[in-house]
Amino acid sequence: MIELQGLTKTYAGTNVVDDVSLTLETGEFGVLIGPSGCGKSTTLKMINRLVPLSGGRIILNGDDVTDLPAEQLRRRIGYAIQSTGLFPHWSVAQNIATVPQLLKWPKSRIDDRVDELMAMFHLDPAEFRHKYPHQLSGGQAQRVGVARALAADPEVLLMDEPFGAVDPLTREVLQAELKRVHQQTGKTIVFVTHDMDEALQLATRIALLNGGRLVQYDRPIEMMVKPADDFVREFIGQADLGLKLLSRRWVHQYQRPPSLEHHATLPGLDHCWQLDDAGRPVALEGARLDDDHGVTPVKPEWTATPEMSLKEALSRMVWYRVMVLPVIDDAGKLIGEIGMQGIMGIQAEAGSEVS
Amino acid sequence: MASVASHRWVGNRVLMTLLVAAVASVGLLPFASLSPNRLASGQSVMLWQALASWQLAALALIGMALLIAALAKPMDPRASQWLALAATLPLLALDFYGLGDYAHRALVDASPAARVSQGATFWILLLVSALIAIDALQRLRLGLIQRALYGALALAVIGICFSGELLAPLSIMREFANQEENFVDQLIRHLLLVGGALLPALLIGLPLGLLANRRARLRNGLFSVLNVFQTLPSIAVFGLLIAPLSALGRAAPWLGELGVSGIGVAPAIIALVLYSLLPIVRNTYSGLAGVSSGALEAARGMGMTPRQILWQVEIPLALPVILSGLRIVTVQAIGLVVVAALIGAGGFGAFIFQGLGQYAIDLVLLGAIPTIVLAVIADFVLQILVSLSRPSGTR
Repeated sequence: MIELQGLTKTYAGTNVVDDVSLTLETGEFGVLIGPSGCGKSTTLKMINRLVPLSGGRIILNGDDVTDLPAEQLRRRIGYAIQSTGLFPHWSVAQNIATVPQLLKWPKSRIDDRVDELMAMFHLDPAEFRHKYPHQLSGGQAQRVGVARALAADPEVLLMDEPFGAVDPLTREVLQAELKRVHQQTGKTIVFVTHDMDEALQLATRIALLNGGRLVQYDRPIEMMVKPADDFVREFIGQADLGLKLLSRRWVHQYQRPPSLEHHATLPGLDHCWQLDDAGRPVALEGARLDDDHGVTPVKPEWTATPEMSLKEALSRMVWYRVMVLPVIDDAGKLIGEIGMQGIMGIQAEAGSEVS
Repeated sequence: MASVASHRWVGNRVLMTLLVAAVASVGLLPFASLSPNRLASGQSVMLWQALASWQLAALALIGMALLIAALAKPMDPRASQWLALAATLPLLALDFYGLGDYAHRALVDASPAARVSQGATFWILLLVSALIAIDALQRLRLGLIQRALYGALALAVIGICFSGELLAPLSIMREFANQEENFVDQLIRHLLLVGGALLPALLIGLPLGLLANRRARLRNGLFSVLNVFQTLPSIAVFGLLIAPLSALGRAAPWLGELGVSGIGVAPAIIALVLYSLLPIVRNTYSGLAGVSSGALEAARGMGMTPRQILWQVEIPLALPVILSGLRIVTVQAIGLVVVAALIGAGGFGAFIFQGLGQYAIDLVLLGAIPTIVLAVIADFVLQILVSLSRPSGTR
């Protein structure tokens, strides 16, 4: 648990961070966001005291951070930055082992931990252990940077725009991986970004800062549906608010049992799934945008899974011109369906947050 | 149009130019000179007069091989470069062997005082083979080990030429024979002066470089002062030091007993240290300044102490630049020590100034050539150290 109490940073008479107070519970994924110069990075760097505090307190799991020697504090906190900061003269394995080395872990324990982390980030130890940072792609280097930050199993992970310098495709993959790692490890993460989509994708709590002041600290959905003021509304962006909401809702929340026979209830929505012997969907009768009665073979590209966001499900419907997607489990069995109606039926109220 | 045509015929214009220069030198400049005694000026001997016919034939063959290597056809570029590289070794051998062999034949009937010296063409052929080799090594993009291997081969060829009696009748080698004991003394003295200057320069320069990196406000003043040292002419510094150091030597007799006086070793070393400081401080500073800020931030953020950051991150990453500074300074000091002979510090400069005084060119060369060889060897060794110090992944 991290508590910021009246946190203030003054440079040359100006408060770049001004009386910020918030509490992030253990296991939460907190995102600090705001326009450039809002003090989000400064706030982050005060947690591991790379930037000295001018006022206020930071309590990390019950300890005031200023009571600990700075180096000792920092070894309890993982730190990953945009430029990765990998040491160019050390191999991937040596880089990941940095903090365990500082903590004087025995060599066998370090080796095991390095392998474990490399596996967690899908870096084959045989291939990558002895590579040097300049031999890695941007995405691989960033994975090593995050793995290094997690190496000594820190209480908190601080990340300063870690995915800001990688291409959009790699960024999506890294975001998904970080989300998975967060769920696997249950680490408390404080993450700085200026990208609202990234914040909505990852955060369980968002702190929006402007001019050094905390404007709103809320869960992502509440941020969207109950913005504290016009600044928040503007910063989130109104143009695709619906899509942003959909990105925070999941198929399993809105799926319904699959329709296995025709009902002539609503024009255009009358449809029925054909299954094979194993219960896997083979084809869809009806519910196509251009042809109410056609039979469409089911392709893997337009199936949905319970963990998929409604935004992605909608995107697949639009692209493949169907009004309904089959929801399948890991074995490919039909367990439900998600239709345009389900997606339109989301409630713009808070509280149904699950992930 | 001419250049277009030459593109078609000439595959390696550098090699072709060197070849033309070598041929012009053979045609126009003497290969050796024969003089009645050590000080008299000699009579020019052209290459075709000096060499035996089989040697001329061999030289012609080497020339043909180099010509083929320089042309665009019939060989492909890589094979041409290997051919050129291979041809430099017999060229080198023939240059030395031809000169030594000629000296033996020319001196059989001459008076004992007669001398044979090397002429311009000898030097030009030596230089041309070195340049051809450097050009070929660069074009072939050989690694450090292969380059060192070639260097060892070339040194072996030269070493064999010097090992027997082959070159003994040459004037410069007779000077060497006269000075042999003195030569070793001066070599040791030369090296001691270089080492004696570099060690204090490093001890002062490295911390100053670190200080310049840590304290931005000190930096400009420090570099201005060091720049002033660098701009002073070396002889002027030696002159300037005479008065204060002799006063010091007189005022504190125990210092005088240690050798502190207006001339000799003390002013030489002080001047050399002053000259060496700027490159060492500047390279230490820029090496440290070149360490990526991301690596430093990460090191701090992960809980490394300032000392750990300095020794584990900053120094290893700055080392190639620091060693490049040491390389500059070492080569520079080897050259400057020559001038220090003027104030009686000794070293190879002693031969040079003695030779200049006596108008004995071969004695001048006896001082100059080993100085050049020392500088080249030091440069090569430090170059290897610089590449070894690069972060393993980027070497």
